Amino acid sequence: MAGALDGIRIIDQTQVMAGPFASMLLADMGADVIKVEPPEGEHARHVGLEAAPGVAASFLAVNRGKKGITLDLKQPEGVAVLKRLVATADVLVENYRPGVAQRLGVDYDTLAAVNPRLIYCSVSGFGQTGPYASRGGYDLIAQGMAGIMSATGSDGGPPVKVGVPVADLGAGLFALLGILCALRARRITGRGQRVDTSLFEAALALSAWEATEYWYTGEIPKRLGTAHRLNAPYQAFRASDGYFTVGAANPKLWPIFAGLIGRPELTQDPRFKGVGDRVKNRAALEKEIEVATSKETRAHWLARCEAEGIPAGPIYSIPEAQADPHAQARGMVQELQHPQAGRVKALGNPVKLSRSPAALRTAAPLLGADTDAVLAGAGYTPAEIGALRVKKVI
Amino acid sequence: MKPLAGLRVIDFTQAMAAPFCTMNLADMGADVIKLEPPGEGEPTRHLGAVHKRGHSATFMTMNRGKRDLAVDLKRPEGVEIVKRLVETADVFVQNYRPGVADRLGLGYAALSAINPRLIYCAVSGFGGTGPYASRGGYDLIAQGMSGVISVTGDEDGAPAKSGVPLSDLAAGLFSAYGILCALEHRDRTGEGQLVDTSLLEAAMALTVWEASEYWVTGEAPKALGSAHRLSAPYQALRAADGYFTVGANTDRLYEGFCRAIGRGDLLTDPRFTSGAGRRQHRKALVAEVETTTATEPRAFWLERLDKEGVPAGPINDYAEALSDPQTLARRMVVDLVHPGAGPIKALGVPVKLSDTPGAVDKAAPILGQDTEDILIELGYTESERRDLEAKGIVERWPIPGGNRR
Repeated sequence: MAGALDGIRIIDQTQVMAGPFASMLLADMGADVIKVEPPEGEHARHVGLEAAPGVAASFLAVNRGKKGITLDLKQPEGVAVLKRLVATADVLVENYRPGVAQRLGVDYDTLAAVNPRLIYCSVSGFGQTGPYASRGGYDLIAQGMAGIMSATGSDGGPPVKVGVPVADLGAGLFALLGILCALRARRITGRGQRVDTSLFEAALALSAWEATEYWYTGEIPKRLGTAHRLNAPYQAFRASDGYFTVGAANPKLWPIFAGLIGRPELTQDPRFKGVGDRVKNRAALEKEIEVATSKETRAHWLARCEAEGIPAGPIYSIPEAQADPHAQARGMVQELQHPQAGRVKALGNPVKLSRSPAALRTAAPLLGADTDAVLAGAGYTPAEIGALRVKKVI
Repeated sequence: MKPLAGLRVIDFTQAMAAPFCTMNLADMGADVIKLEPPGEGEPTRHLGAVHKRGHSATFMTMNRGKRDLAVDLKRPEGVEIVKRLVETADVFVQNYRPGVADRLGLGYAALSAINPRLIYCAVSGFGGTGPYASRGGYDLIAQGMSGVISVTGDEDGAPAKSGVPLSDLAAGLFSAYGILCALEHRDRTGEGQLVDTSLLEAAMALTVWEASEYWVTGEAPKALGSAHRLSAPYQALRAADGYFTVGANTDRLYEGFCRAIGRGDLLTDPRFTSGAGRRQHRKALVAEVETTTATEPRAFWLERLDKEGVPAGPINDYAEALSDPQTLARRMVVDLVHPGAGPIKALGVPVKLSDTPGAVDKAAPILGQDTEDILIELGYTESERRDLEAKGIVERWPIPGGNRR
């Protein structure tokens, strides 16, 4: 079946996570994504756990559905090949440190001269401008500087980041937003443009609630474990065999929840009447609720909550999350065939389109797997390709 | 021109996930029309503890740049107005529990019959299909069920979620991606379609690293505080006056890091000479490193690490983050004037387009602020408009001669 982005060609000069995540999601939707790697392969091929000897699991995780070519951009012939590919492309995504693309001669101005319709997306630590533009930035640094770490974890404990790399992934998603918006603008203007985002800005943009709390109250948002800044009860509670989550903050659900745990009198307690009271007295509320919830198992409370229509759920480990029948029914765990690692698992695309659905087409490419085919498609003869290989350009 | 100029989006949403989706589309220039019930408005106008001059801060945050139509969808005349609006729209976004929109006559089947080019996006807790489709779901529930909570927090402490509501926010961003991809398909084929995503799926899609770890090792990934699953040192380290972060995840950066803290001896310690060794002996490495870093303040180490080109940074609170020079240089804080609340601040657009940039330039609407304009655009006559208003099917603000509230 045709993908929504059929016919759109992406040059993917990215590495590690934020950039590759964006171009992977474009590939899921049918875009022709050509991953360009240096002859030794990108950084992620050489670090972390291996799915099979020499096959990095983290590379597999964010490069499915892409074609792979190698190109030595430190040689002028490599840059020339890239320019010929750019002439055929709609989008280029890169996540070098600012300045590196200029040094290699593959910066926006140079490539826009080759193809004025090109959308050139840069994902960096801090963005292409501003005092920190030239600094390297990782997910951890961005989570720390944007405030997310100051709002994650429990009061008094050591620093905690969000367990998943939310600045990296958020930057990937905002890059997608920018690229797809630029494609729409191009239909009207006929021109490509520069799209520039960063881990730092993405992490700030994800802080909408926390920024709001700070600006409107003047108070600095604190770390709240699993609790909500502005609602209660909305957090993990202790059962006899572990924790479960409940969101029973609104005026309709709160009395139902209080009744369900056998504590209906809590709704009459002046400390817990309005949502503002419950937020203010959250610690006391938690204590009162846990007196009841800690007497029975998680399964008991989850069944009761479900029967009463109160949003609640288990705290799954990653294996449990993947094994859950609903996650399976929504296609969130799939398998792909990798030429060296065999059957490998992959997370499904979270967005379901009815007519042009996302599809996981192929596993991540082997290093240089598509070099010959892609170059031939760009008009290179076998002799020219052979010559480039002799010079170690490809 | 903003990139989505000319795109009309009907926003039948509440709370966070879907409003965040349409907010991002509005930032990029879409004409987003929010539907709300007359009288009360959407629940977010009342829930939550923070207000300014009677206007809910959370509502204002998620609904900037939108227009507002106050219309009673429980009355057939109200549904009729929305159907006329749907004929003029490109996108319809809703995040009610599956089934609610259908009961109101605003389901995908009904609206695509009116406008086959319509892209209809439904955002829910668990998605439109599967065994939990009808359950309500919040960010917290999705963080718990996706495994995100299981990998967040101290190694031995009580559960912690992502401090920011990442299931909500990611569901909003993934829906924007789904909508924009569906628009590409429509440009080629003329067909609209249904876009269906959920908080649970969005959160699971963010467990990329953790899923791969599990698939390779067969073990459930654990919460690691601030540390990285696959590299070290990449975490918060103790200084004399608090913590700072450092990401020295390659041999080259590790060398720079050891130079910056004056611990050349760690370069030859056999436990730490390879990336795999540093990962395996992370705790020992951090204990060694902190004997040094704890002796000087954060600023001292950050300056030295910057000189060596090692990524590092402070752990800012929100007062610091929102006033950081980089935040301001990248226009991440914007001043707006709300018609009721007066001057307010808002976060800027995190992705910069050079030729057709998005912008945050209009505060959230007051309930019914654009009702009159939208009805006029749809061709309702003056007498029809006053009649709809008299019957309480629509509400407008401001009301000539004074407001009711």
